[in-house]
Amino acid sequence: MSTSQKPGIHRGVSTYCWYPLYNVNMTLEDSFEIMKDMGAHGLEILADGIIEGYPYPSKEWLNKWFSLCDRYEIVPVEYGHWVESKLYRGRELNVEESLEQLIHDIKLASYMGFTCMRTKLGVIDDKLTPTKIWRDFIRRALPYAEKYNVVMQPEIHWPTRLTDQMILDYVEFIEKEQTQYFGFNIDFGVFTTDATGMGMPPGMELNPSKPEDIIPLLPYVHCCHAKYYNMDENFEETTIPYREVVQIMKDHNWNGYLLSEYEGPHKEDYNHCMTQVKRHHVMLKRILGE
Amino acid sequence: MLEYEGVQYKGFRNIYNEEGEATGFQVGIRMIGYRGAWLSEFRFGYIEVDGEKFLADRCTFVVSGVEYTYEETFNLGRVKWPLNEAMIVRVQKPGGLAQGSHTVSALYGQVASYVPFGSGELDINQKPGGHGHSESFGYTREMIIV
Repeated sequence: MSTSQKPGIHRGVSTYCWYPLYNVNMTLEDSFEIMKDMGAHGLEILADGIIEGYPYPSKEWLNKWFSLCDRYEIVPVEYGHWVESKLYRGRELNVEESLEQLIHDIKLASYMGFTCMRTKLGVIDDKLTPTKIWRDFIRRALPYAEKYNVVMQPEIHWPTRLTDQMILDYVEFIEKEQTQYFGFNIDFGVFTTDATGMGMPPGMELNPSKPEDIIPLLPYVHCCHAKYYNMDENFEETTIPYREVVQIMKDHNWNGYLLSEYEGPHKEDYNHCMTQVKRHHVMLKRILGE
Repeated sequence: MLEYEGVQYKGFRNIYNEEGEATGFQVGIRMIGYRGAWLSEFRFGYIEVDGEKFLADRCTFVVSGVEYTYEETFNLGRVKWPLNEAMIVRVQKPGGLAQGSHTVSALYGQVASYVPFGSGELDINQKPGGHGHSESFGYTREMIIV
């Protein structure tokens, strides 16, 4: 299964790039227009912050959504959502409660045209090991994901490494369930070799994954967070080995979307965020040979 | 529209009772983030004006027109403080705030199930400086009561 309408690597943007600016000096429509300007048609939304009235948007808002997607040639790719394991004080969410959140998001994502979900699980330690009951509610959500045709994908994010036990656990789960509806969103921050700009908490190590570590995972990856911390004036990302990573993906005929996700400083500065995203797409177009 | 700052100028004013006496003041706060907070995940430290701190026991919280005490928010896992809305914090202070300039701070946050380390000053149990699971932020702004 692929989120792409045609094979190959496609460009897109996550609304994360501009999150503090929405409702202040930017609308969803503004971001669609900027994406169209850049020829970056794939979209990730962070559902909670973007969908007005989430988790119960009005029919009127949904109609506006469809008409904006049409007008700006937007392809809904990934629907970012959370399973809130620490919703209540003093206890973890149980399987039924987790499943209820998940099924609602699966249905809404599917209705809005998304084919993937960035399924953020609650974590229990500093390596981002997911809550112990994840298999129980994900397994029970699989029939819904299949019926509504959306792939659930945890985001693999620094400081996790692509060779960590949790990744092996996810792969084992996918193979055991023989499912195409659970996979990964690899966040390119896992390849970061320079902590400048990423705001690393004290005591943490960078410990980057190697570009080739992505190879065995590619069959399970439907879209990626094309993370960037610092795009320089020569249109190069100074902290992540983009050319190596994307070349590996091309060589392995990976199909899917690279979704820009800016996590560097000055997110309050509209001009800075806009410059960074435009530089990022100049770089991606050059690497992809568009 | 919202203002960029965590502490919102719009809505900052004294509150009066039917006799016309100021019983306190109110101030709007917003989440500078990418998701709204389920009320059960909302964490509140204080509102501080000119060095005087007002804790949760002297505040109520208005979301989408409905006023809650802090304790009432604890079990509201299905009620959302929408990202595109300022929450109005109503603070009890007999006499209200004096006309003129004030330094207004707010410390609040939300529990982030997916983050292992605290990214702010409040941990999940609201202990300042704790190692917990809450994204919390303190903001300060100079504002004027007319």
